[in-house]
Amino acid sequence: MAGRYAELHALSNFTFLRGASHPEELVKTAAELGYEALAITDECSMSGVVRAHTAAKECGLKKLIIGSELRLRSGRKLVALARNKAGYASLCRLVTNARRAAEKGSYELARLDFEEGLSGCLVLWVPDRQLTLDVEDHWLRETFRDRLWIAVELLADGRQREQMQRLREEGRRLKLPLVASGDVHMHCRARRIVQDAVTAIRHGTTVDNAGFALYPNGERHLRPLDVLQRVYPEDLLAETVCIAASIDFSLDELRYEYPNEVVPEGETPATYLRRLTEEGMRRRWPHGIPQKVIRLIEHELKLIAELRYEQYFLTVYDIVAYARSQDILCQGRGSAANSAVCFCLGITEVDPARMEMLVERFISKERNEPPDIDVDFEHERREEVIQYIYAKYGRERAALAATVITYRPRSALRDMGKVLGLSDLQVGRLSRSMQWWDGQSVDDSRILEAGLSPDSPVIKRLLYLVRELIGFPRHLSQHVGGFVISDAPLYELVPVENATMPERTVIQWEKNDLEDLGLLKVDVLGLGMLTAIRRSFDLIRDFDGREYTLATVPAEDPQVYDMICDGDTMGVFQIESRAQMTMLPRLRPRCYYDLVIEVAIIRPGPIQGDMVHPYLRRRNGEEAVDYPSEAVKGVLQRTLGVPIFQEQVMQLAIVAAGFTPGEADRLRRAMAAWKRRGGLGHFEDKLINGMRERGYDETFARQIFQQILGFGEYGFPESHSASFALLVYVSSWLKCHEPAAFTCALLNSQPMGFYSASQLVQDAQRHGVAIQPVDINHSGWDCSLEADEAGAATLRLGLRMVKGLSENAGQRIVVERTGGYTQVQALLERAGLDRRELGALASSGALRPLSGDRHRARWAVAGAEKPMPLFPSMARYEPAPLLPKPTEGQNIVADYRSTGLTLERHPMCLLRRHLDRYCYAQARTLPVLGNGHAVNVAGLVITKQRPGTASGVIFVTLEDETGQINLVLWKQIAEQYRAELLNARLLGVAGELQIEGQVIHVVAQRLFDHSNLLGDLSVRSRDFR
Amino acid sequence: MGAKRPVLHRQVADRLWFCVWLPQLPLEANRSSEAATAIVEEQHGIHRILLADAEASAAGVMPGQAANAALALLPTLQLEERSLLREQQALEGLASWLERFSSFISIADHDVLVLEIAGSVRLFGGLQELRQRMSKGLRELGLTAALAIAPTPLAATWMARAGRRACIRDDTNLGAALRKLPLFCMDWPAGLCEALTGMGVTTVGDCLRLPREGFTRRFGAEYLLQLDRALGHLPDPRNSWRAPERFCVDYEMTEEQTDRKLLLNICRELLLSHEQFLLARQLGTQRVCFSFFHLKGPATELRLGCARAERSAGRWLELLGIRFEQLVLPGPVIAVRLRSGMAQPLQAESGALSFHGKPGATAPRFSITQLAERLIARIGDQSVQAASMVAEHRPDYAWRSQSLLADWSGTTLDTPEQSAQRPLWMLPEPALLPADSGYPVHQGCRLRLIDGPERLETGWWDEDGISRDYYTAAGTDGRRLWVFRNRNRTSSWYLHGYFG
Repeated sequence: MAGRYAELHALSNFTFLRGASHPEELVKTAAELGYEALAITDECSMSGVVRAHTAAKECGLKKLIIGSELRLRSGRKLVALARNKAGYASLCRLVTNARRAAEKGSYELARLDFEEGLSGCLVLWVPDRQLTLDVEDHWLRETFRDRLWIAVELLADGRQREQMQRLREEGRRLKLPLVASGDVHMHCRARRIVQDAVTAIRHGTTVDNAGFALYPNGERHLRPLDVLQRVYPEDLLAETVCIAASIDFSLDELRYEYPNEVVPEGETPATYLRRLTEEGMRRRWPHGIPQKVIRLIEHELKLIAELRYEQYFLTVYDIVAYARSQDILCQGRGSAANSAVCFCLGITEVDPARMEMLVERFISKERNEPPDIDVDFEHERREEVIQYIYAKYGRERAALAATVITYRPRSALRDMGKVLGLSDLQVGRLSRSMQWWDGQSVDDSRILEAGLSPDSPVIKRLLYLVRELIGFPRHLSQHVGGFVISDAPLYELVPVENATMPERTVIQWEKNDLEDLGLLKVDVLGLGMLTAIRRSFDLIRDFDGREYTLATVPAEDPQVYDMICDGDTMGVFQIESRAQMTMLPRLRPRCYYDLVIEVAIIRPGPIQGDMVHPYLRRRNGEEAVDYPSEAVKGVLQRTLGVPIFQEQVMQLAIVAAGFTPGEADRLRRAMAAWKRRGGLGHFEDKLINGMRERGYDETFARQIFQQILGFGEYGFPESHSASFALLVYVSSWLKCHEPAAFTCALLNSQPMGFYSASQLVQDAQRHGVAIQPVDINHSGWDCSLEADEAGAATLRLGLRMVKGLSENAGQRIVVERTGGYTQVQALLERAGLDRRELGALASSGALRPLSGDRHRARWAVAGAEKPMPLFPSMARYEPAPLLPKPTEGQNIVADYRSTGLTLERHPMCLLRRHLDRYCYAQARTLPVLGNGHAVNVAGLVITKQRPGTASGVIFVTLEDETGQINLVLWKQIAEQYRAELLNARLLGVAGELQIEGQVIHVVAQRLFDHSNLLGDLSVRSRDFR
Repeated sequence: MGAKRPVLHRQVADRLWFCVWLPQLPLEANRSSEAATAIVEEQHGIHRILLADAEASAAGVMPGQAANAALALLPTLQLEERSLLREQQALEGLASWLERFSSFISIADHDVLVLEIAGSVRLFGGLQELRQRMSKGLRELGLTAALAIAPTPLAATWMARAGRRACIRDDTNLGAALRKLPLFCMDWPAGLCEALTGMGVTTVGDCLRLPREGFTRRFGAEYLLQLDRALGHLPDPRNSWRAPERFCVDYEMTEEQTDRKLLLNICRELLLSHEQFLLARQLGTQRVCFSFFHLKGPATELRLGCARAERSAGRWLELLGIRFEQLVLPGPVIAVRLRSGMAQPLQAESGALSFHGKPGATAPRFSITQLAERLIARIGDQSVQAASMVAEHRPDYAWRSQSLLADWSGTTLDTPEQSAQRPLWMLPEPALLPADSGYPVHQGCRLRLIDGPERLETGWWDEDGISRDYYTAAGTDGRRLWVFRNRNRTSSWYLHGYFG
């Protein structure tokens, strides 16, 4: 019988570029090998332990030990293992201190850091290769006393015998016990190749130059027990088991306390939450609260109390209340956000009565998952909120969650190419031709195309390594806005380290880790549309005094829905993309919940899962809606039997396939990751068998599973969709009724959304908004509203549109403008502009009132000189230069270059006559031609989009003087006209018209690049993938 | 440029400048194959297209594109990194070829040469003829060139850059011709051109129309001066280009000689003047080459190399003496030529290295350098190699040899960290050992494994990956051997070396 062993020194790939196995792989292998325990001891990090913890529970590893390998400045290497909760806390604290004291990605440890002696931790001392035990012996023994062992790591380097002998002697001399350990870097020997490769990356060299930086062999893996028995003396193996047995700590013991200061003195969290909720109810329903709402709120409060989530709601409330006090627009979303309680607390503005939704969908006792509230803030003011959180809770108690950046095919290819000695250009070629590589297999033709041979051993090695490396963590980054806030210092829970941004700290765990341990986070996110909406409200108020809020924008306005149904949604939140615009006339949303569906359905998930067309057919009454059972009907009725939301998939798994809520939640996460890692296999069997057992036929079951696969990582939760739909409605209302203010606000919030300033301005012009040019004597920094003679709002472009002018300079121009400017020299003297800023103004045409056309303005600006202190503003006489007047074409080019748009005629107007012989039709005339009509069109290329879902199809949008033209390029045409597609700014197309209702496409057959006609016109296409 | 003209120096009338502009030089100097090629240059970490040939351009490859974008258009595109050195060499090559047309050649820019031809026009039978001969020669050299002739070098250059096949002999026509040229031909900084274009100034003529004072105040006097030089209002002196010097001297004899002693003496004389040549320039060289010419058949060549730059005739003679003995001359010699290699600055000789640092040890007769040179001279360059350690786990790769004449400046001989003992005497190839019940047998007796295993699994990145367990084994005679067994394949034993 083989002996017993516990591995006490194992690094996962969370010791970046050293470890070569995922924590899950290590845990699984240790369990299979029958180890008594496995310690995950990543170097000065706890990043991988939660994954290991979850995996250990799943595969039944006898014991998981949490520890860390630590290297002191002196070079001494220790492995600390948490024996109990206090030990874990002190280790986290040590790691925090070491990490915070150094640059991001590194750490700094000295003897002084161990003054508290890491109580509650056991310490292995790993002698270095020279086996020198020196002056620090004494310090080590004093500090750790009876908690110190000498680790004996026998790794077939040819000196095992000598090493064993020496360490035995040292052990006797120092009276320290010896213990076996394996310096594990990988779960199996085969990973040594990956280990060598990542080592070479770490040293910034190629594998064949890495020399002794590489390990001589692959012994640093989890070795089978019988092998270990041959390598180590029995007593050393027994000692591992002893140590493991003395350790009594699991991450399950971690308890997290919510911050207490959110509750005022004299109240309990429950009473305070109830008081706030009741106040909110009276505010929301000033004319009497409906019975239904009262019942709903009572129900929710009971649930919250049972789950003890009061402080979480109060924490979010506190943040939102702060934002409100600062006039920062915000809105919550997520599973708990759309509860009636949150509506009363003002966390969201979505009236649950308006949605007729059941709240259990959002908080569920059975699912036992932490409530999830994300709060979106105006993107330009989110930082204020973050600073508030740091100020209120302190940096010890509030930190951002981490995001583990992992290797993607492209980055893996780049790094592995480098370590195998390929040149940058070769790697560039390869990664380009593998854009659509799924990470599993790759076409030989793609490699040939890159000028490399698929049979070459180098390429084979490269592909092997890339496949292995994909999904490996690479470094920690900060989560976009996920805050963890606790009552006790965070570093007792999890180590905290520096982020790239100065003054930011992140914890070493990411979102999934927090969820696994049931810890709460609040997402503080930035949303551009909230900025635009806030600005629209402000502009309207300042223009004629009308006040709006998210809640008071008139609801369910049929005119707004008419506009949406026409697909006239440029600039509107979420539904402005090309795909959305073409879908709107088919889906014809007429009420709020239609928008909720709209937001969720036109996404890669439902499109790939083939949910769009069944839903459309059913909505138009072309297909009967039937349900295989009442239970399924309950889940799918509101979406006509088609699963559209992430929650529906999970509920289906529960009601139809017998999943437990916990399993359904794991299914959700597996869905998100399967594209990258695979691993939906066992869910497939369970789902299909479960459904069969419950009497559903196999076809239905398969169909549901296919839909789950299609959902992949793109499944959109209803709880988010519901909040987004409100912003969709509000932005649509603004576009419909206040187009000048809305466009103005969008321009001031750029860059955001799908469309450029030029397109937004043209769209506004088509909707009857008058636009005024940038003017040195009239424009503010921002775009603004001016009243015309009739008192209607017109839009004045702001100085912010001028490329090359800083906000600072723009503000100075406005502040110093009293009385207006009459000379260029005055700008220099009063507003303190420099030559470059003046040049930017001259190019924009803003100096027209001072010096005439652009040519003269530029001459004047080039001659302006800083006033000399003794001779202020001495007028200098200069003969007028002989300069030609700019042509209309030159003006258009300059407009585009400086402000990205022109108020002159569209460039196509000027170019038409050069294009006569091609007989290009105008966008406006297309609807009157019939479906299937052969047609030639031409225009500026404004967007190119290759949706990941549409099998190589490329969508291109052209713009001519009468509107936009939507092109569809099938893959073959796209390949054939690659050069035109890549380079053309002015594109001519011969193709076929496709008209379906109000949706018009031109299916391209031939492309012509007419860019040479544009000269210097700089039109930038916005390319999306 | 208006009223105030500087005093006219009418010294241009008797000068005529011929400009050769090579717009495709980066492509032509750097390309290595016939396939569609583009030259790339690194800018801010991204390789961008500098110039593309006709085939690549037809596929949509354009200057300024990122290399990857170009590859997306034309996957078979050959990309060549730009080498300014190669371009410089090509330009100098052309300059030395052009010396037949003019005694005054000047490199005006990285892709522009100007020749003063007023004197040579007659010699070549008129401008037309001269131009045709030059065009023909350029074609043969594989260079695309734009040619222009004007009374000032700048005017000629601008004309050529503007693509005007102009030939202006008379400076009364010069102003009118220049005025029509576009701005870009002056190759002014991009920022200046952009500023001028932004004011609607697009030709040389537009520039000349601007008020002189206003122009200077805005753009500086330098460009105004250029305009004046181009127009011939100001003199425009140029540096003349000269081919670099290299020692190459022939000693021709009045009759054929077979006397080796005499030949050696001739060589000695040549080496002495070589020494004088280098001495005057404070240079040395690492290689020299003697050519012995025969009346029939190819010349016999003798190359000598030195470990460091050297000019002393005595030293070279010493090396020559060793090799000359063995030199086989197929016939009598009619001339001897000495060509020296690339001249380099001379290094000071470091003190002779002593083999044994201990006091009292006898001083060596030669420095290591001298020893190596003598050995090489005697048995050939390839036979004398230096061994150096390489950081590699694989024993077969843990050292390498390299020529002594190679550049050693970057080589360091640090002892890599070794985890285990290595035998002093390694076999060039591991030798298969017979086995007896699992143990290796050497010279008939079963070996005892006394230490190990040392496991080496590495080298997977090339074709020689290994996976072996090495042991120190002892034979009955007490000799210690280094043996191994492959882990994956057969379990045969191999002998790889002997300890002591």
